[in-house]
This record gives sequence, C-alpha cells and structure tokens, in this order.
Amino acid sequence: MIRQAFTDLFARLGSTTRRGIRPPTLRESSLRSRIMPTPMPDQLLLPLQDYADPLAREHDRIAPCVDVGDWVAKYQLLAKGKEPGSLRLHAPTSGTVQAIEQIPAAAIGQRPQLAIRLLTDTDERELPLEPPSDYRALAPEQLVQLIEEAGICGLGGAGYPTARKIRDAVEKNVKTLIINGVECEPYISCDEALLRERASLTVKGAELLQAACLADDCVIVIDNAMPAARKALTLALQGSSISLRVVHRRYPAGDERQLVKAICRREVPGEGHPPDVGVLVQNIGTAVAVYEAIVHAKPCISRIVTLTGSALLTPKNFDVPIGTPVQHLLKLCGVDDKEHEFTIRGGSLMGQYLLEQSAPIEKTTNCIIASNSLEIPEWETEQACIRCGYCAQACPAQLQPQQLLASIRSEERQQTLALGLDDCIECGACAVVCPSRIPLVSYYRAAKEIHREEFTSHEQSRHWQARFQYHQYRLKKNQDRAQPRKAVEQTVKEAQGFSRDQARMEISAAVERVRRRRQALAGGKDPGQEKSQ
Amino acid sequence: MIPLAENFFFQLLAGSLLLGSLLLAIAWSVVATRKRLQEQRFLVDRINSILPQTQCGRCGHPGCRPYARAIATGEAINRCPPGGDSTIRLLALLLNEARVPLDPAHGEIEPARVAVIREAECIGCTKCIVACPVDAIIGAAKRMHTVIASECTGCDLCIEPCPVDCIDLVERDAAPRYWSLSGLASPAATANREALDGEPCHD
Amino acid sequence: MKQRLFSSSPMQFFPLQTSQIMLLVILATLPAMLVSTWFFGYGVVLNVLFASLIGLLCEAAICRIRGRAVRATLADNSCLLTAVLFGMTIPPGTTWWLIAMGMVFAIALVKHAYGGLGQNTFNPAMAGYLFLLLAYPLDMTSWHLPVAAQDFTSTHSPLGWQGLLQSLGCLFPFLPVLGDGLTVDGLAMATPLIESKLAAGNAIRAAMEEGYGLFARRAETGWELVNVAWLLGGLFLLATRLISWHIPLSMIAATLVMSLLYYSPSAAAVLGTPYLHLLGSATMMGAFFIATDPVSAATGSRAKIAYGLIIGVSLYSIRVWGSYLDAVAIAVLFGNFCAPLLDRLLAPRKYGHPGFFAKLLGNISRRKIT
Repeated sequence: MIRQAFTDLFARLGSTTRRGIRPPTLRESSLRSRIMPTPMPDQLLLPLQDYADPLAREHDRIAPCVDVGDWVAKYQLLAKGKEPGSLRLHAPTSGTVQAIEQIPAAAIGQRPQLAIRLLTDTDERELPLEPPSDYRALAPEQLVQLIEEAGICGLGGAGYPTARKIRDAVEKNVKTLIINGVECEPYISCDEALLRERASLTVKGAELLQAACLADDCVIVIDNAMPAARKALTLALQGSSISLRVVHRRYPAGDERQLVKAICRREVPGEGHPPDVGVLVQNIGTAVAVYEAIVHAKPCISRIVTLTGSALLTPKNFDVPIGTPVQHLLKLCGVDDKEHEFTIRGGSLMGQYLLEQSAPIEKTTNCIIASNSLEIPEWETEQACIRCGYCAQACPAQLQPQQLLASIRSEERQQTLALGLDDCIECGACAVVCPSRIPLVSYYRAAKEIHREEFTSHEQSRHWQARFQYHQYRLKKNQDRAQPRKAVEQTVKEAQGFSRDQARMEISAAVERVRRRRQALAGGKDPGQEKSQ
Repeated sequence: MIPLAENFFFQLLAGSLLLGSLLLAIAWSVVATRKRLQEQRFLVDRINSILPQTQCGRCGHPGCRPYARAIATGEAINRCPPGGDSTIRLLALLLNEARVPLDPAHGEIEPARVAVIREAECIGCTKCIVACPVDAIIGAAKRMHTVIASECTGCDLCIEPCPVDCIDLVERDAAPRYWSLSGLASPAATANREALDGEPCHD
Repeated sequence: MKQRLFSSSPMQFFPLQTSQIMLLVILATLPAMLVSTWFFGYGVVLNVLFASLIGLLCEAAICRIRGRAVRATLADNSCLLTAVLFGMTIPPGTTWWLIAMGMVFAIALVKHAYGGLGQNTFNPAMAGYLFLLLAYPLDMTSWHLPVAAQDFTSTHSPLGWQGLLQSLGCLFPFLPVLGDGLTVDGLAMATPLIESKLAAGNAIRAAMEEGYGLFARRAETGWELVNVAWLLGGLFLLATRLISWHIPLSMIAATLVMSLLYYSPSAAAVLGTPYLHLLGSATMMGAFFIATDPVSAATGSRAKIAYGLIIGVSLYSIRVWGSYLDAVAIAVLFGNFCAPLLDRLLAPRKYGHPGFFAKLLGNISRRKIT
C-alpha cells in the first residue's frame, strides 16, 4: 500500500530507471459483464492483407482460393499465401462468396485492400474437424504445422504469422517463452477478460507453445491492475511449470522489447527481434488460439474485441468472428447517435480513427472506442518546444524526442537517423506528456516515410551507378577486343563490295514500310491490302 | 595549513590527469575523423554520391560524374530534374550555397518513370540497347527487346534512337505517402506552427 | 460522424501545460521573495513588478512586429518567469530605466531575436543581468535599501509606508522626494557574499548564539535565510518533478567540492568557507531556478550532470579569482555555451544500442579506432 502511494505520487512520469507513463486504465466499464458471443451479421468482410504492414511485400500477400459465387462451409480455407508460413484465412461461418473486391482503407496509414465479401447463411454448416488423437504426442514441428494451417497470427496487434515466428525462434535457439498478458493501453480490456474467463485455456496454450518452440522456461506476464485475472491465472497455473510474473502497469510495458528487458534483463538489439537474445514473446490471445488449433483443430476465425466509449450504452467485450463490420458491433452495444462523434480502432494511445463504419474486424483489431469530444477532447494547439525533457523521460526506447523533432524540422537526415528514428515504436508516450502539445508521433511517422523514400532512392542511385560503371567497363573491354577484329572485318567487307549507303537505303525503306503500315492502321484500312501492294 | 588544492602533489596529479585526458581526446577525435573522411576525400566523389545517377544528360553534361566535376568547379547546383528538390538541398548543404529552385531550362520535377517497349512494334534494331547507360534493355539483333523495369532509371535516352518510336515512358508506382509534415494538424495548429517558425512547413 | 481536427494517435494527453509549468516555477520563487522583502524592503517586489510590466509590453510589441499571435505568446508565461528571475537578480533600488534596458535586451534580443520561446541559446534573465553588469557595474553592485532596512536600530520597519515610498523613490528617481524627507543613501553593500566573506562567519549560528531570533533583522541572517527560501522553492520543484535533480545536485556538488579543495581556515577570509559559498550567495537560486531553465540547459541526464559540473566549477573560479563578485550569471552563460556540445557528446544510450564505453571497449578489443 505504501508502495502504491509512492508510485502514485510520481504518477505523471516514469522514474528515470523505469520509463513510460501511467495513464488511467479506463477499462472498468467494459469488464462489468462477461465476454458476450456475437450474433452473426448478414455479411462478413474478410480482408486479405497479410499482417498489419502497409508495405508488405507483394508476394507476401495472401490470395483467395475460392471464387465468386462459391458456397463455403465454416472453417473452410478461403485464402493463403504462396510463401511457406504465410497467413491463411478461414471462413468464420458458412455462406456464399458474394464478391472479392477492393475495400477502401479503414484508417489513415492503411492501404485499400482486397477482401472477400461473404453472405452468411442463417443456419451454419461446418466442415468436420479432425483434432489429433493425442496432441501431447505430437512433435514440435507438427505443432508448428498445425499452427500454420490454422492461420494464427499475433493477436496482440502486430499480426505477424505465428508459425513463421516460431520457426525463426527455433532456429535461433530461444530459451525463454514470454506470454504477454500485460494490457497497458487505456480502454483495452480484451486480454484481461480472456484471462478472467479462459485462464486454463491460456495455460494449456502456453504449454503447447513452449513445446513448439523448444523453450526451457515459460513465463506468463500480467500487469498489477488485473487482480481478478491474477487470481484466475494463479489457480490455473497450479501444477504447471509455467511461472507467473506481475509487472507495474506502465505504458508501454506491454511492448515486447520492454517485456524482454523487464523479465529477462536483456535488451533486444536495435534492428533485431527478441529471438536474437533467446526470447520469444507471444500474446495470450495467440496462446488460446494455439490451444484451439492443436487440441480442437479449430482455425483462427474469431477474437475477443473490447467495445467501449462513452457513446455506448453497454460497453463490453465480445467474441467476434473475423470480418464482422464494426457498425454491427456498435449496434449490439447500443450506440447513442447523439453522443457518437467518432470511432477509434485500437486503444486511445496507439489506435487510429476509423474512416469507415463498415470496416471489418481484422485479426489484429483489439478494441473499438465510440466516443465524443467530451470524453476524448480535441488535441490542443501546438506550441513551441521548451526542451523540458519530459518526453525523453517517458520514451521507452530511450530516445530523445525533442532532439528528433529539432532534426526533423531542420531536415538533417543523418542526425535524425543517428538519434534513432528507426528505433521509435510510435507508442505515443512522448506526445502524451508534452506540455506544449506537440504531435511528436506524427512528426516521426512523416519523417519515417521521407527517410524510407530517400533511402530507397539512394540505394537505387548507388545501384544504377554500379550498373553504369559496369556498362562503361564493358564498352571499353569490347572496344579493346574489337580493334583487331574490326580491321579484319573492314578488309573483308571491302572485298565483298559492301556499301554503307546501300545498307542505309535498305534500312530507311524498312522504316518507311513500318510507318506506312502504322498510318494505314490508324486510317482503318486493311493492312493486308497494304502488304500486297 | 594550506588548502588541499594548493598542495603540490595534488596539483601535479590533477593537472596531469586533466591534461592527459584532453590530449587523448584530441588525438582520438583526430584519428577517428580522418578515418571517417577517407572514403570521400574528393569533393567530386561526394557530389557524385548525391546525384541520382540516372545518367540522363538533362543537366547538359554527358552523365552524372561530369556534372559533379562541373559543380565542383562552380557550376549551378539546380540543373538536375531527376534529383529534384532533395538533391538541390543536399548539394546546397554540402557546398554551403543557397538553395535555389530547379532551373526550368533543364526540365521540370517529374515523378519517377520507367521505359516500356511496345513489343508489337519493335523491329529489333538494337539502337536502344546501345543507348541505355545502365544496360537495362535486353535483346539482340532481330530479336525482341525489352526493358528490365527494376534497372531502368527513366533517363529517356532510348526514346530518341528508336526508329519506330515504340518506347513509352510511364510513371512508376511509388509507395504512397500517408503522413506529411505540412498536413500534421488542423489549419489553426498549422498556422500557429507557421507563426512559430516564420515559414511554412514543407515536406 | 464529426471530422476530428487532428487525425493521429495518441488521442489523449496529460493536463499539464507549458504556461502552468511557468506559473508553478514562479510560485516556487515566492518564499524567497517573501523572505527578501521581510529583510530588505519592498525593493525586490517593485523590481519584479516593473520588470514584468516592461517585459510584457516589450513582448507584445515584438509579436506585433513579427506578425505572431500576441495573446498566445504572452499566455505562455515565459516572459513573466524571465521578469521574476531578472527582477530578483538585480539589486533592489535599481532605477527604472536600467530595469527597462535589461528587460528589453533580454526579451527582444536574447529571446525573440533567436526565434522566441524554446529557441534561445542563452538564459534571457541572466544575459540581461550581465549586460547591465558590464555596462553599469557600479549600479549593479550597490544595493539601495530603505533607511529602515539599513539601520537595524531604527524603529521603522522596512515594510512600512516609509519603506515603500523610499523604495519607490529609488525605482523612479524623477518623482519628488517621498516620505519624511530622508534621502536614501546608496549603501555600498557590494554584495552580501563579500560582506559575509569578510565576516568569515555563519550569521545564523551567530544569531542563535547571541540570542536573536532568526528572523530578527538585527541578526544579519537575511541573506542566508533568503538562500534557504530559494532552497525550499527548489525542493518544491524537485518534489513536483518539474525539474530533474541532475543539474542542481551537480552544480552544488561542484561548488562544494571546489570550495573544500581550496578551504583552509587561514584562507577563509579571502576565499570563503564552503558554507558561505552555498548559502551566503546566490548559489541556491542559480542551482534550482537559473541553471535548470530547460531551454538553455542541456537535455540528456549525463549532459545535465556535466553541465552542472561546468557551471559549479566556473562559478567558484570566477568568484574567487575573477573580478566579479557573484558570478552565477556568468557561470550559467558559460554553461549555456557548452550545452549543445554536451548534448551531442553525452547523448543518452538508446535502447538496444551499446553505450559509449561499451563501444569503446569493443573497439579496443578489436583494435579499431572507431
């Protein structure tokens, strides 16, 4: 209790050793009731974009393997990618594929993507599932194969294909598996709800993941603001070798790099990932999906989504089929249209404003906030930076946001990179504490785009320079080689009576023929006639 | 009793520590800087690494390196249309010159382009292959010619030699820009930022 | 669906604003202002008020010239803070046109000519004070106090009506002689530090030994208590986390260490004791309020410590071996010179990247230079 009081005294900023901020949780209202099942909407919009990266490579995209007009059963495979380990999409319910079309970008920073529009049946018919007879006897690689076939991706928000992640981790000999149940962003409560009600599934999923990635230890991490979940988890962990760790709820403690530092006391190298230091981090939602996939052979077709915000009469958590339009969920919660001014997808610190209410719930959507300016006021006018340094104290990546801002504004590209622009995780902690209300994260996003463009063009220039230099070298080489040969050729040609003028005349005649043919085509005449002339 | 700092041995120790660390710091920074600058000792190399290497000749010189040499001897820095504004800015920073807009006599700023051969009309004369400065066109005499899009710089040197005029320059797909520095906030906020900086934010 | 004005995350922010930070810092100077007024009369308050007036007018004029929003710029309270610190640095009893010159220099030249709030390299209050010190050294080193404050046996209080009129008379010498006809002499109280140095004593202890109350004006504890008040204000700033502990601690530590190194009882008469260097001069004010001005100070933690050390060392050396009597302003300005370089050299280590020493050791083990 004394510790709580002490940490509350310094509630505004993290201390210099522990970075981050302590925003309010704002999740009590959505946790009052249990996770509700969702009545199936009339239409599902299943997006085909492979994980939430707007610059995903073309061949990483997933392509549909059904056609328009096909009837699909529940759990049927709808789309998959060409690369091994890419995501798969399964039908959350049975229905007819009405269209495969481009849907507009749901938020800024997202590209328009291809989606399968599924008209759902009123009575759903499912494909028979074939769960393994003894999942405990499966080899690790078989477990990973089942995970891949179920189309599981990181349900914590990044959406990276889990099978690929596990295979990378096994290659790098990870020793520790961290199951991330820390929910540090305001409004989001889906992980806590999951832990409260399905703790034993989480534990079983964690054990399966541990077996799949061949880790020595497994730790489930939660934050200190979910006591009910902690109780449920402690109960579920009895008799298991998995340990439970509780961290202070600091935003962004749930970021995998911060967790690795907090739990394993190691830092993930700048351009690397947790497997480089022998750690694999997975979300608890992913663990539950893994359990379902291996034990019941159920593919990943639904996820828990928090619906909250002051415009909703009954905020709660839902178990939502992938592809459900957001407005369907909003209606279920009873949205007050007078109060509802805007919708946010994600939490209030890293989420995006939703541009289309018909946007679908994707595998990476964890929260929808329907709110208004009273609850979440407009951002205030930006003022001059006074270099107070609160942002640097808050930054979890230990960067200096005020210096980054100065170098971005003065367009010093080298300095911006040296300050660590690429290490920024865009968590927004710096902008939250800024007393001058500078939208720092937006600056970094814009700067990252500019840098990416310039880097690509710089790389391209160097590549072209190399090709040009080889071109010059090749010409010189041919010239040197050709000198004696050319002399011989000249004498031979002269002996054969070859005339350069005659050659020229033949070429211009050919060009003239082509030109006339093209004119004829343009004039609509029959080219056959031309030729015979 | 004299103060500690006036003690001879203390002064000797402190003085030598300070002097020693200062000399070490100077020596280290000199060596490090020399090593770092070794790669681009010559100004022409540094200028050339800023130019976009399209070898198009729109600046009036037969390639990027001749233009870099000319800049090093005083020519204007605003003659490269493929490089655009960012090249002019980097050259201005490097040479400590004023940043001027692109000289319209040498072209306009255009989006990135790539050459495409209309294969139905190609007669296989190899004139474009010879003209391409980065060997981005593959083909042979009386065989089909085609442009390798990833290697094409959009320099348009192949357009002129083609006797049947079958090469088009089309715009390249670029990664879209979602966030721009100038469009960061509301007009009110941007106006305040302009008032704070005294000049409009540009991308 | 209403279109939000601003379209990116994060959507929430903590309520503390820049103008509120400035106000809280001004609030933290109140104890010192009160104690100073108690001992030395209304001079300090009048200085601060007049400096604020001139500063606000000047800033409004500059904003008009620059075409900026006047109300927004004045509302961030930075000019008020500069005026408060400036007003408390210059001696009470300074004439009005000196204050005006100093403030115009500070606001127009040091702050706005560099770009306005957040862009100035030098601390405006200290630069203004230094300008006056260089141009009008005599005026800046003599304190004009009301008679009652000078003469401890007087029955008048420096806080009385006479004291106020006499202080006003110092500020605006063109006004007819105020009060009961007593002209105010310029007390060549060159600086409290010199006075105390020559006394080489601890006024508070002396006061307690002689049985005076601490706040009795006869006890000559004035200047030390003012420093204690500055210290209290500084601790308030630390407790509310408005400033970080790096700069004050390193600056005070540097001054303490330097004065200890050069301390000997026989030399104390000339060089001063550590106690006096900390509490008998303007060190506390400098450490907590002036050196921590975020715009002109260094920003990273390590850079801040180096910044504080540089200021502390130069403070001691200028005081003891230089010809300026209290050198907080000069030392802080010297630190301002060094701050950008310190930020560059002592940048904090980024997550996931090796720090300076790790890189150095790595290079040495691989026999490389960089």
